[in-house]
Amino acid sequence: MMLKIEGLNKIYKKDGKVALKDVDMNIKKGEFAALLGQNGAGKTTLINILSGNVKKTSGKVFIGGFDIDKNELETKRILGVVPQESGFDNFFSVEEVLKKQSGYFGIKNNKEYIYHLLNQLNLYEKKNNFIRELSGGMKRRFQIAKALVHKPEIFILDEPTAGVDIEMRHNMYDFLLELHKSGLTMILTTHYIEEAERLCDRIMVINSGEIVADEPKEILMDKFGREVRVSICFENPVDMRQWDLPTEFNGENAHNNQIDFKVDKAKLPSLLNAIASKRSDFVDISIEREKLEDVYLQLIKRRDS
Amino acid sequence: MKIFYNKIGFFTLLFREIHRFSRVSIQTILAPLISNILYLGIFSGILSTRSIAFEGFNYLQFLVPGLATMGTIFAAFQNPSFSLISQKYMNTIQDLNSYPISDLEKTTAFILGGTVRGTLIGMLTYIATLPFVKSGIYSPAFFFLSLMLTAFVFSSIGFISGLALDGFEKMNFVLSIVITPLSYLGGVFFEVSKLSGILSAMRFVNPIYPLVNLTRYAYLGVYEDNIYVHGAMAAVFIIAGFATSLIVFKRGTGIKIL
Repeated sequence: MMLKIEGLNKIYKKDGKVALKDVDMNIKKGEFAALLGQNGAGKTTLINILSGNVKKTSGKVFIGGFDIDKNELETKRILGVVPQESGFDNFFSVEEVLKKQSGYFGIKNNKEYIYHLLNQLNLYEKKNNFIRELSGGMKRRFQIAKALVHKPEIFILDEPTAGVDIEMRHNMYDFLLELHKSGLTMILTTHYIEEAERLCDRIMVINSGEIVADEPKEILMDKFGREVRVSICFENPVDMRQWDLPTEFNGENAHNNQIDFKVDKAKLPSLLNAIASKRSDFVDISIEREKLEDVYLQLIKRRDS
Repeated sequence: MKIFYNKIGFFTLLFREIHRFSRVSIQTILAPLISNILYLGIFSGILSTRSIAFEGFNYLQFLVPGLATMGTIFAAFQNPSFSLISQKYMNTIQDLNSYPISDLEKTTAFILGGTVRGTLIGMLTYIATLPFVKSGIYSPAFFFLSLMLTAFVFSSIGFISGLALDGFEKMNFVLSIVITPLSYLGGVFFEVSKLSGILSAMRFVNPIYPLVNLTRYAYLGVYEDNIYVHGAMAAVFIIAGFATSLIVFKRGTGIKIL
């Protein structure tokens, strides 16, 4: 197990806020997990406990088999974190910071790997620039390079694509998928649900400091994403009032020649048969399974209610 | 016995501290040097015609070790305190928590970074005074050692301040309200034993007083009060400064959220 968390609790001393409640988590080697949650749900607190910025109130945390209470320094060697709010050392250039970062992790002469990372992240041309001279997206990529410079075994990214333009975001996805393919264990927190859906094979949802879902993506989607969206286009205009469909198949939305339904996956054949018995001028049918975003919203709403 | 947990990490952090101040050398080296030369120029202009002597030495000879110590104190204090507070402003302070470097190594690296800068300023101040005061040093090695110990004590105090304080204004407050008066009352500019009442008694709790006296002894070969007591006081301040620094760092003051 690459990351094992047992009964983790955090209550901030300053204001007594309960940030984490009995969190349990097990991440296997090579997994790419997403941690989703609203602002203030506890994602960053959890990451900050792992990286040593926040002291936990109780519970056990093992990183790469090392207990953070007993072998804290060993856990740091194998952990790489891209923090949400990234700061920058304005005294030094990109290359200087990465060389120093390697040194802090006990690595000398790391130039070749530093240049490899800078090339991968399209930052090589900026290696002599001060970090304050980089654009917002470059700074985010620089943070990724900084967190990878010591070749961590578990890599945590706290909203890495916030403020990054679409093209660069997609380049970053490719880069992260390449990293994952190389066997790196990764945890991603993000507000872009489609990002988690595209990249991760395991989804965890945290709400008010509690883990409310933790499943492989496909199982979670099967469990909670039971409905499909069906859009049917006809050659001629649609008038729902002339139809006599069972109430469970009431069209959600009818406009011009198109009608949309949201039905349980199991009832899809009955719906299509029912419509086929009424109309035969189909032009197009599209069936879309629920997105992770829908599942996520269901989970959050269910918990809040 | 293993001395280092992460030797490369320790030296990287130490050299980072030295690299940082050398990168802004106009502010960190040249400015305090000019300030000390101005002190000496003004005093040599005003006092050259007056006879103020100390154990057979003229006032400027008395003043040189005081100025060197004062320069050392300010530079040593400012290096770790400025470094830590600027990391808080740059939002990179939490990076310190992610390095696999032990608390002892991190604390020592920051304090030694300040010690290097403080000793450098003290030695450069001495060199800069040579055109004004043409006299040799009684014990060059002890003079260097004394400046180094002074720098170590005030680098520790700067380190604690940098952890505990969250802004440059507060750091400047400590410098103007605590360090500057202590250096004036610590014998930089005059013999403290000649003061009376509480101002004179305060010298026994003022860390600057024994350190100025040790440096002055190394420079002139004469001293105020008892040099052995000063040596013992300096040792206490060195140990207490370092131990407190380590405790404050281990507690996570200013770098961890509790």
